[in-house]
This record gives sequence, C-alpha cells and structure tokens, in this order.
Amino acid sequence: MTVTTAQSSRVDVAGVRRPSGSIDVAVALRPYEGALDARRAAHLLRRAGFGGTPDEVRGFTGMAAGDAVERLVRFPSTSALPAPENVYDPTTLLSQYGPRGLRDLSPDARRQLFVQLRRQEVRSIASLQLWWLNRMLATPAPLQEKMALFFHGHFTTAAIQKGVSPAMAYRQNQLFRQYALGNLRELTRAVSKDPAMLLYLDNALNVASHPNENYARELMELYTLGVDHYTEDDVRESARAWTGWRVIRITGQPFFAPRLHDDGTKTFLGRRGNFDGDDIVSIIFAQPQCARFFAASLLGLFVYDNPEPELVDGVAEQLQRHDYDLAPVVSALLRSNAFYSQRAYRALVKSPAELVVGTYKALGVATIGRSALPAMRAMGQVLFYPPNVAGWPGGENWLTSQMMIARQNFLAGLVNARIMGASSWLNAIPMDPVRATHALVGTLLQDDASPASYAQLKAYLMGEGASALATLGVENFQERMHGAAYLTMAMPAYQLS
Amino acid sequence: MRRSKFLVGALSGITVVANADHIFARALAAAPLPGLPGAENRCLVLVNLQGGNDGLNCVVPHGDADYYRVRPSLAIPRSDVLAIDAQLGLNPQMASFKALYDKGMVAIVQGVGYPNPDHSHFRSTEIWQTAAPDRYEHTGWLGRYLDEADLPAANLFNGVSLASILPEVMVGTKVDVPAIASEAAYGLRVDRNPMQRRAFTALVRDERLPFSSPYLAHVMEIEDRSQRGSEELPHLIAGYTTSATYPATPLGRSLALAAQIVGSNIGTKVIYVQHGSFDTHVNQVAVQNRLLGEFSDAVKAFYDDLSAHGNDRRVLTMTFSEFGRRIEENGSRGTDHGEASPLFLVGGGTKGGIYGDAPSLAATNMGNVRFTTDFRNVYATVLERWLGRPSAPVLNGTFEQLALLG
Repeated sequence: MTVTTAQSSRVDVAGVRRPSGSIDVAVALRPYEGALDARRAAHLLRRAGFGGTPDEVRGFTGMAAGDAVERLVRFPSTSALPAPENVYDPTTLLSQYGPRGLRDLSPDARRQLFVQLRRQEVRSIASLQLWWLNRMLATPAPLQEKMALFFHGHFTTAAIQKGVSPAMAYRQNQLFRQYALGNLRELTRAVSKDPAMLLYLDNALNVASHPNENYARELMELYTLGVDHYTEDDVRESARAWTGWRVIRITGQPFFAPRLHDDGTKTFLGRRGNFDGDDIVSIIFAQPQCARFFAASLLGLFVYDNPEPELVDGVAEQLQRHDYDLAPVVSALLRSNAFYSQRAYRALVKSPAELVVGTYKALGVATIGRSALPAMRAMGQVLFYPPNVAGWPGGENWLTSQMMIARQNFLAGLVNARIMGASSWLNAIPMDPVRATHALVGTLLQDDASPASYAQLKAYLMGEGASALATLGVENFQERMHGAAYLTMAMPAYQLS
Repeated sequence: MRRSKFLVGALSGITVVANADHIFARALAAAPLPGLPGAENRCLVLVNLQGGNDGLNCVVPHGDADYYRVRPSLAIPRSDVLAIDAQLGLNPQMASFKALYDKGMVAIVQGVGYPNPDHSHFRSTEIWQTAAPDRYEHTGWLGRYLDEADLPAANLFNGVSLASILPEVMVGTKVDVPAIASEAAYGLRVDRNPMQRRAFTALVRDERLPFSSPYLAHVMEIEDRSQRGSEELPHLIAGYTTSATYPATPLGRSLALAAQIVGSNIGTKVIYVQHGSFDTHVNQVAVQNRLLGEFSDAVKAFYDDLSAHGNDRRVLTMTFSEFGRRIEENGSRGTDHGEASPLFLVGGGTKGGIYGDAPSLAATNMGNVRFTTDFRNVYATVLERWLGRPSAPVLNGTFEQLALLG
C-alpha cells in the first residue's frame, strides 16, 4: 500500500492538480482508471454508505473503480427488509371522534386525549429512529439509505411539531428512499405534496384568500436555488401558485382543493401564466442555478466541501444532460478522479449517524441497541428532528467539545459493552502486540496513522510491570484488546470520512 | 417577510434600526453610554427561558381591566399578584425574585422583541441567539463577542455553556465554547483508566498523519481541548465552597455551578444556562407558575451565593425567551405562540426598575403583544456597558443603548 503525504506532489495520483487552486475539470470528472486499494475501497464504502465491514473492504479491494461503483449504484431491491413496527398513526384514534366529536369533548377530556397522543408519538419516533439506524446497518443498499438521510436533511421536516405524526414522518422517509437515485425534479414535486412537508412549512394553510409564503420561500432558498437567486415578488407569486393544497387532519391525507386555489395569472422568474405548484417546480428546474445548487450539494455530500466553481459547473452540466436523473450523475461522481483525489480523502466530518452505524459495521456488531439514541442526541443528531428548516449544518458544526466527548464516550462505551462479546473479529486477534496493532490500525483506520501511533498502541497493548502482557489471562487480554480498539478509534482520522 | 429591507441595510454596512419613534425612547440614552469601569472582571449569565414564556402572567398588568377580560381562566387574581405598583406586579410564585427587585437589583424591560416576529420555536430561538432577524446566520451574538473580545486564547473557559448542547448563541468562528451539562457529564470515560489515558493523550495529538484534510487540525484541536478541559475543570473549581441552598432543580444545579465558576476566577466572561419548557399550550397556570417559582428561587440562591463571596456586582444575569404568548387564552386553558415579552436583568450594574412600555392589550399585532424594544438594543447595552466591547461588529449594525446599567 502506498502512503502518500500531503506535501508529496502538486499533481496527485488521480491527476487532480493541488494545491494550486485551479482544477482541470475534464480530468477531475473523468473516470478513475486504477483498481481500488484498501484506502480507496474504504473511502468509497464510507461515502456511498456508512462504511464497510472488514469483509466488505477486503471484497472491494482490488476491484476496478467502475465495477465497485456499479455494485453500489445498482443496488438490489430492499422491499423485503423489515418495515418498522407499530408506527403510531393518531388518525386511527382521531377518526373515532371526527371534527365534531373532538369539539364536543370537555376541555379536560380533550387535553387528556392529546397528552396521551403526544406520549405515543414520542415513543413511536424513538422506535423509528432505532429502526432506521438498524436499516442503515443491515441494508444491502447503503447508498439508498445515504440518500434518504441526505434528503431528510435537505428537504427538512421535523416530526411531531405542527401535527407531523410518526406515520407522516415514516411516509416521507419512504418517499426519500423511493427517489434515492431517482429524478430530482420529480422528488421535489412529490415532497411538495407530502403531508409532513405541507404541515411543516405551512403550505397546508396556504389559500387564495390568505397566501402563506413559508413553503414558497424555503423551496427556493433552501431546497433548489439558494438565497439571492429570486426576488420577493417571486416568493409571493410562487405562494399563489401553491395555494389549495391541504391535509385532512383526521386522515392525514393530502388533497388539492380547487376552490382554495388562486387561478389567476402569475409572473414567476420571468415567466407569465396561470401556474400551479408543478409549473413552479418546472420553471425552477429550468434555471441553470438549480443545477448548480444541487451539484454543489452532491459534491459536498460525496466529494468535498467548498468545491471549486468550475467543478460545480461540470457536475451541474451532467445534471442537466441527464435531466436531473441522479443515478448516472452519482455514479459518475463516485467513479471520478476527483472522488479518489487526495483532496477528497478524509475531507469530510462523519455525521453522528455515519459514526454510529459505521462503528457497528467496522466492529462487526449486528444490532444497534437503544443506547445509541441518547448517544446520538449528545452528538447533536436526532433523526426525524433536524434542528431547523435548514437541516443539520454538518462539517465543523459536529465538532464541539461536548459533542466530541459524546463521540469518544460512545466509542469507549461500545467497545466495553457486553454486545461486543463473541461476534466481533476483535476477539480473534492473536495475542501478539505487533500483529494486533497492525490488525487494529489496518482494519479500523486503513493505516491512516503515523509510526509513532503504531508504537504508542503497541506499548499500550504490551503494558508494563504488573500489567505486562505476559502476565494477563485470556480475559484480561481481551479487555486490553478492546481498550486498544477504542484508542485506535480515538485517533483523529476516525472522525473523518 | 423576513430578511427583505433589513438585509439590504445590513449589507450596506452599519444599520440603525429606526425604532426611536416608539414611546420607549425614554429608556434610550441620548448619546452612546460609556462602558462601566472594571469590565475585565465581569461576567454575563444568559438564562434561556425555553419554549416561550408568557409575559402577561409573569409581569402581570393587574391594573388593566382588559387583562382580566382576555384571560378569563388564566388571569392571576389581583389579590395574588406581587404588586410593584398600581399597574404591574410579579407572578405570585416569584416572591424570592420580588425580594431582589425590592432591593433595586432587577431591571424589567417590557415588550422586547424584533421586527416581523416568527412564531416558530426554533426559528425565533435562532433569531434571538444569532441576533439576526433578517437573515440566516451560523454564529451567535455571544460567539461573535468571544471571537472579537481578545481574551486569553489559552483559557478554555472564556465562555461556557451549562447545557448538554452548545446553543447557537455561543457558536463563533474562532473560539470553541465547551458545553458542560454537569461536572459529571463533562468527562471522558477514557480518563478513568490511567493507562488508556496516557495512550489517548499521545494518540489524539499525532500530527504526522499520512493524509491531509481540511478538518484534521480542527478535530485535533477539539479532541485536545475536550480532554484538557474535562481534566482541568474539576481542579480549577475545586476550591470553591457554595454558600447558599439552591433548589434541587436543573436550573438550581446549573446556577450553583455558574457561581462556582465565577467564584473560582478562571476568566469566564459569558455563561449560558437554560430553563423550561414554557410552551404552555395547555394547563398554563400550573406549568408556568412552577417554572417561574423555580426560576425565582434559583436566581435568589445564585445571588445569595455570589454575595457571600463578594461576587454579586461582578455578575449580570439576563433572561430571554424566543417569544411571549398570545394575549387571549386558547380553548384549553393555555396560550399559543405570541410575540414580545418582558426580559429581566439582574445584579451587576443593574439600575432596578421598569423600562419600556407596558404591553397594550388593545393595540395588538393580530392578537399578539407588539414589540416596543428591539432585543438588539438590550444586547448593545450589555456588550458596550457591561462587557466593554463595541457592539456594532457583533450585532452587524449600531443599536441605541438603554440607560439601565449604572
């Protein structure tokens, strides 16, 4: 395995010039011709999913990049995976009453009803969170879950607030999965009419007589164009076009009420007509800025933050050429020289979901337990509750002292947990400090550690005096090994994808 | 609605928000006020009353007949109100806080809010914390203060969040503020095992890695800071003896730790604590009274403790809440999300009294209390006069100060 250093060259192995600040986009987006070494195999598995098990990394090592990407992008059907159990749907309870019936209840009875309902919802969301984490862990299509998580943070909706029930949150989650590598324009149309979204951003309150601009604004500002690429008039006119969408509270179903829709002529992004919501999405997606906006998002998800404008334009062109179909564009991105360049390597901060799921995969633990939920909360990522409409800010926002302590304590807690018992490969590592060190750093970090760190880890494994390796029984050796596994994951490289 | 005209002003440089036409101008000083001497030893404690504290049942307009009309089941009976004057009084659970008020230690600023109020908890919380009603901002106003304030870089505790999360208000671009849920939670498991700890210390500082990453330096810095911080803090504050009986509530525990940090003289300038949830859509009286009682008792104990150590003049405590609540009660003995509400300043250089205009229950903003004081006027006052720093770079504009610190 070649160890490349940051200072070694101005033209890195993948042919992308660094660190001049300029980039040859044609080269950067051309397919990487080489076979994957272990580093690149693990890199691909982290970015296109949540990291690989040791077996998966071994399996991908030596493959041609194109074949490896093909395997991840053309993922098998996941319809046979278990659905979450008992997703709470308050409409079952509410529909017993009907709108009239609720009004007839005494204030006390109504309050009790809603307290009970809220309690069920909170419990249901917690089991949905656990279900999703375990799906990320077990799915044969990790890229599908990666995209679902990306869309969850992009087209944000928080559960429970504003009447978004667990059933609606799950429905939206399934929508993101369905469109994982589908068409972005169609997804945007579908999510616009999704009941959770209609409630979360008040589009269900948007009627011709009193337009509500919340969704119309965020659709452009946060979901498709970015600030400064539209005017306040565009927001108002778009809001008019979206009028008429409602959610039936008792059933949770979305519907379009023509009599609440503004049927007049609208002027939007320079076009005039009697537009509805679908027209608005079409007009937005015809803007070159929309392609650039999604190109930058995809580069930030898969390749690196703050991509060069030329690279953004290059990916935007591909999006337009493929009419916003994601599969060919994501596939090309994951095969590109840019993706395998030094600049992209370990260039993103793992999100808490990536850290948690990735660690269970790396250690070979088959089921994520309930303790992962408070851990994720302490790390700052609560699934189904993005912090606000702008989603999780990510990057260095994951790196505060308390969140780092939460990350470290999660890792330290997991290696010491009883669940680490028989299943993990850790327990099969031989009682040989040199071989053990190489097994740990190789498997968990793809050797992204300095010689000094190897020596440090070896010294820890060997111990000294009364705690010297030679004096340890099998059980204590296992404990020492688990401690060394934690220390390997405590190294800075482990926090980076 | 948000970030339209204001954004233009903000981008063009210095913005003066033209709210001098509000009648609260009597609280505004004619000219910028000089900073109080001794800023280097002072600390600001920010208390977030999370969820939207109902201002009308907190600072009660018991002289206003409209109050009793719009709050048939929620209004606090006149005889129960802890009267300040013929018009206003405090919630009956706030006796300890009233005692501080009577000593001249509390300033109440009425009707604090911002233009184009947002009724979403998180957006409005974000607006108060980033001090940016007109745009999305990823740093908080105290984070920007810490970035600008030229404090000793080696001190890990220039700012401290006493919560499990780092609130946006403390997020800056240069300084990492430790979030400390409790002394016990702020610790690395690895530190319990001396052998592991030694190895950990070396491993997280390994700078000769075979790859580069834009985030590597940051990861190392945070790993280093979180380990040193969690190791240092218990030693730094060990010499302090708490001299008050705090209520056994989360806020009581947070403020006890805050007094300990202040009294240990470790250079901390800003401390964040939180209390709630005040989101009283149903059954408001029971919930809000309990929370206000907890707040009142904890703040009283805090200042007793600070006074016993001679620190009460060094610590200014300020509350905020993302919004007040709807003037009219709803159908379930609660109130829905509203707009402006009162804000408290306690201790430090506070000139006790009531500032700003009492909310009008007649002239409302679609059923909500109209804001009469922009929160950025309060922030500017605290930054300039209490923390001794220019406020314009922090607040992205110039805001007139209030004459409530002396």
